[in-house]
Amino acid sequence: MGGGEKPVGAAMNPWGIFSTTVAWFILLFLMLPSFVVVPMSFGGKFEMMFPPTTFDTILYERFFSTGNWIATTITSFKVAIGATVLALLLGVPAAYGIVRGTYPGKKIVALFLLSPILVPVIVLALGMYLYLASFKATGTDFGLIIAHGVLTTPFVIVTCMAGLRHIDPNLETAATIMGASVMQTFFKVTLPLLKSAMFAGGLFAFLMSFDEVVVAFFITEASTMTLPVKMYSSIKWEISPILAAISSLLTFLSLVVCLIGAAAQKKS
Amino acid sequence: MLERRAQRLAIMFVAPATIFMLAVFLIPLWKVVSQSFTTMDGHFTWAGYAELKTSILFAKVMWNTIEISLMATVVTLLFAYPLAYYLAKQPPRRRAYLMVFVLLPFWTSVLVKSFAFMVVLGENGFINQGLRAIIGGDLPIKLLFNRTGVMIGMTHYFIPFMVFPILTSLLAQSPDLPKAAQLMGSGAMRIFFKITLPLSMPGVMAGSLLTFILSLGFFITPSLMGGRKDMMMANLVDFYMRETLNWPVAAAIACLLLLLSLAFIGLLTRIPGGKSVLGEAG
Repeated sequence: MGGGEKPVGAAMNPWGIFSTTVAWFILLFLMLPSFVVVPMSFGGKFEMMFPPTTFDTILYERFFSTGNWIATTITSFKVAIGATVLALLLGVPAAYGIVRGTYPGKKIVALFLLSPILVPVIVLALGMYLYLASFKATGTDFGLIIAHGVLTTPFVIVTCMAGLRHIDPNLETAATIMGASVMQTFFKVTLPLLKSAMFAGGLFAFLMSFDEVVVAFFITEASTMTLPVKMYSSIKWEISPILAAISSLLTFLSLVVCLIGAAAQKKS
Repeated sequence: MLERRAQRLAIMFVAPATIFMLAVFLIPLWKVVSQSFTTMDGHFTWAGYAELKTSILFAKVMWNTIEISLMATVVTLLFAYPLAYYLAKQPPRRRAYLMVFVLLPFWTSVLVKSFAFMVVLGENGFINQGLRAIIGGDLPIKLLFNRTGVMIGMTHYFIPFMVFPILTSLLAQSPDLPKAAQLMGSGAMRIFFKITLPLSMPGVMAGSLLTFILSLGFFITPSLMGGRKDMMMANLVDFYMRETLNWPVAAAIACLLLLLSLAFIGLLTRIPGGKSVLGEAG
């Protein structure tokens, strides 16, 4: 579109003012949750009000000193790290095989590997419960890690496919001509060039698993609950002001991931 | 390009992921299908589907799901298009900064969003207080635990999903086209409706289908912000699974939801803009 040539200020006819106002209204709507939870998290103990009237860090202190909340947070970290490693191990080679390979049925394989993105999560959650129950693995970190692996691997594949398309295949051809094997080419040429895409994909996988609630809600038990599951039942049954502090911490995590992820993707 | 032998060897690279997905994605889906035909003590049954056929609750929830998903898609499109249009018009640097405002909500937990909206939209929330101050001492407007609440939550969730494909198809348009039309005497309105909008339809179609498909299986937002009697199919699965412990019915609903979604996923792989959503695999 025509952007870039004329300064933004020049477009300030009535139509320009109108469309700018509408766009900013929508951007503010999008940012509303972040603008609400952060100030609220510094409000007083018994206040569930926005905007808050006092300044206090008591909610953060309460969060960090409540064993239950900390235990669920640690579980979430463990599971998210496991799911990220799994998704990278499976997703990076898969992306390479999809972008660079030619073999019968490639499109179907690619579609199959990406389909967990579009299948309703509730169906997968129910299926994972029935599946893990059949070998008594519900309520284990292992069960949750493989379940989250299903959800996060497609995103690593998509991110790395985009990254691979920016790498000149001639570099790989040159390596094979000079005698490198397929494996050597993949590990010594492709992977180093794919570093930023892998980093971005890994970050997204981590955040996705850390925030995932529906599957975790179905397959965890009280003792192995993740942070989002505890948040979900807390919002549903006994909404507590600590949620504002947790929400702010999660928003901060999302901000870090999306800034670093966007920067890494741009580099690749 | 790699030599031919290497190209064929590439199948080894997709093998681990494919085996994993067969074992941990396809088998669980199969478990849902087989559970929908199995009684709690392991016998074959049609009872799950038979119950749904006559259930007034299920018919209502199914209709609700389709209605809410359609509404969410239309409302999201009405918000996302002007935003994508505005972003497309910005110089690249400025657009990169503004994208953070779209990416951050995209990566924010749906629980954080629901919690924030529940505080703001409540009877004594910020919005109702503001309205009371402006309009006067009327009763609070009910913005939560009803259709309005679900729509606010879902629209907020889906705007980024819709903005990305529309923005892509707007940016792919040659800037010379509107300029040429302008030189030949077209007004801004005419240029928009005759050139910009038609050329962005692949993005609109892809974004709308994606939103609709993801809406069909929505669980958290209707559960937290929706009406107790305005359930969607995913909530009904949970209800039969946990509250009434009727697994065949829960699985049968999940199967129907899966079929419904697959039909639209098939459609998505066939439209031009669908590739942008599926990473060009479709």
